[in-house]
Amino acid sequence: MGDSGRQIGIVLLLPRFMRDLGTLLLMSGFAGAGLTLWLGLVWAPSVSIDAFEAPIAQKIFYWHVPSAWAAMIAFTLLFVGSLAWFVKRKEWGWNLHVASAEASLAFGLMAVWSGCIWGAAEWGVPWDWTDVRLNTFALLTLLAIFLVLGRRSQPDGIETRDTFATFGIYGFILVPTTYLATRFWQIRHPGPVVATSEGSLNSDMGMVLTLGAISFTLLVIGHTICGIRLTKMESRLIEIQDIIDKEGI
Amino acid sequence: MPDLLTMSGVVIRRGRNTVLDDFHLDLKNGEVVVLVGENGCGKSTVIEACAGLIDLEKGSIKTAKTIIRDSEGRHGRPESPFGLCLQSDCIMGDELVKERIDDVAGLCGKSIDSQALLEQWNLGHRSQDRVASLSKGQRRKIAVLSGVLPSAITDSPTVILLDEPDAGLDEDSVSRLSGLIRDIADGGHGILIASHNSQIIACADRIVTFDDSVIESAPSDGVAWKIKSKPAKKARIGNRLDRRTLGSLSQNIIPGMLVIGALLALSDPTQFDSRMRIGAILAPALAAGLSGDPISSRLTESRSSDWWRSMSAIPPNALLHVLISSALLTTLACTLFGKLEYNLIFAGAVVAMITASVILILHQATLRLSRPSALMIRLLTPALILPWAILVDRLA
Repeated sequence: MGDSGRQIGIVLLLPRFMRDLGTLLLMSGFAGAGLTLWLGLVWAPSVSIDAFEAPIAQKIFYWHVPSAWAAMIAFTLLFVGSLAWFVKRKEWGWNLHVASAEASLAFGLMAVWSGCIWGAAEWGVPWDWTDVRLNTFALLTLLAIFLVLGRRSQPDGIETRDTFATFGIYGFILVPTTYLATRFWQIRHPGPVVATSEGSLNSDMGMVLTLGAISFTLLVIGHTICGIRLTKMESRLIEIQDIIDKEGI
Repeated sequence: MPDLLTMSGVVIRRGRNTVLDDFHLDLKNGEVVVLVGENGCGKSTVIEACAGLIDLEKGSIKTAKTIIRDSEGRHGRPESPFGLCLQSDCIMGDELVKERIDDVAGLCGKSIDSQALLEQWNLGHRSQDRVASLSKGQRRKIAVLSGVLPSAITDSPTVILLDEPDAGLDEDSVSRLSGLIRDIADGGHGILIASHNSQIIACADRIVTFDDSVIESAPSDGVAWKIKSKPAKKARIGNRLDRRTLGSLSQNIIPGMLVIGALLALSDPTQFDSRMRIGAILAPALAAGLSGDPISSRLTESRSSDWWRSMSAIPPNALLHVLISSALLTTLACTLFGKLEYNLIFAGAVVAMITASVILILHQATLRLSRPSALMIRLLTPALILPWAILVDRLA
């Protein structure tokens, strides 16, 4: 096979490979997330009862932190996709924007919901309007709801894409703000507990948390790849409808 | 002499289609150019692009000295305000007929005898009526008058953009308009019109069709149209409109009052600690601010916001009234919750003003969408609760 034949082969096989890769990552992520949950609830050591108001509720940590991590990855992909569409008019940029907005919403809601349950047990209140990390993360999730529902309310077109991409770009400022929030304003959320000089996390706990982080990373990437495929199919369907309309069938 | 308006290599995409592809057009002083073509060919897109309302994928639109818009994202407004009449009338229903004409003159920094002008167009008897009470044809006359008026009162050559100005006008009015178009051109102004009407097409020096053909024509001359005017300051249109319609009462004060009522009904102010008291005092102001600017919802009527966006850097708003009403609400809350302090009243007023301004900016950011009203922009408003909560914490 010559060079051009090899190139054609790659082009033809790439979508199938991406489809399989997306499904594979999604499935591995689900399995890893299930294992993390089981290990976190059953195997991981309990925390000191003196250090927490609700030591049992601390187990939510193994779900809450990896889902927040995955949401941050999704918001970063959202920023990259938005930028690629807005600046370079790349079709893959818009597809990435759509898929990662949906992933951001899913993982953002997981983190907010699990955080509320943990907060209610540990702090006595599910929400604190003065905690900066809590609120900026919730805003990111609201931004994701806005992008997902908003896109569905508008016909696809350049105006729709530009407007939502702009929100995706400006909204990204909340990602570093959320990350750095506890370093500047430690109100309810604790400061960093992983990879700090204090080394405050037990090694078994750290292992389960790492497994959770890897699993949720696979899950968010798999979710995004599958989402991109769905968005492409959606666009193809609209194109076919346009062709049928023009042919007057 | 440079052209009054130049469109070079313009590419515009709307929705999923490319409406204009490498489009070129120039408009000279004293020239009438009519765009002709079937529906959907891009006539309105050209007019709206020249008014700076549409982003360009490629190319640029310039006047002699200013870039109106280009594909790099640069944009500006012409030295002397242009006249604009879109397909929609672009007038808020609560505006008075005379006020509208005075406001257009005000945008050009002039004041005129608007009553006399309205008499000429058989609208003198409706000068103090709200635009909402006029017939469709009368509203269209006001929209067209608003579009052509800058040419009669500005000293320098002006661009007049008219998108199907004849739609909804009776025979007499179309004849009057076609005569007026030639008079405007004779005054040295350039007019770009999109129309299907044969009387309007007959006024053209050049007819541009969308199959790349240009037809030169030689219409009859007119007599330069000029209206006596004197310098004037721009009016605070939003505040004036809000004073008449009491929009901020229903939109800002009532939600604030409801918050005060709910707090009084559900809690005992004597039992409040310091943080709770400050929170209760500033909550009505936050509710008033979250309700937004009372004029912005009116601007959605018949594309008024587009007209104002094109004519003025800051669209009409009543943020000053939001500030005043929130200060009053906070004073009332201070009295009822037992902590009357000037810094709290000031904080309440500023919180509401900033909150309403942010909501106005979010609203403006989504106006380009084809269905802005279907968008749940309020989902983003909790962003405004965090600064409020931190302020309450600091003041407590």
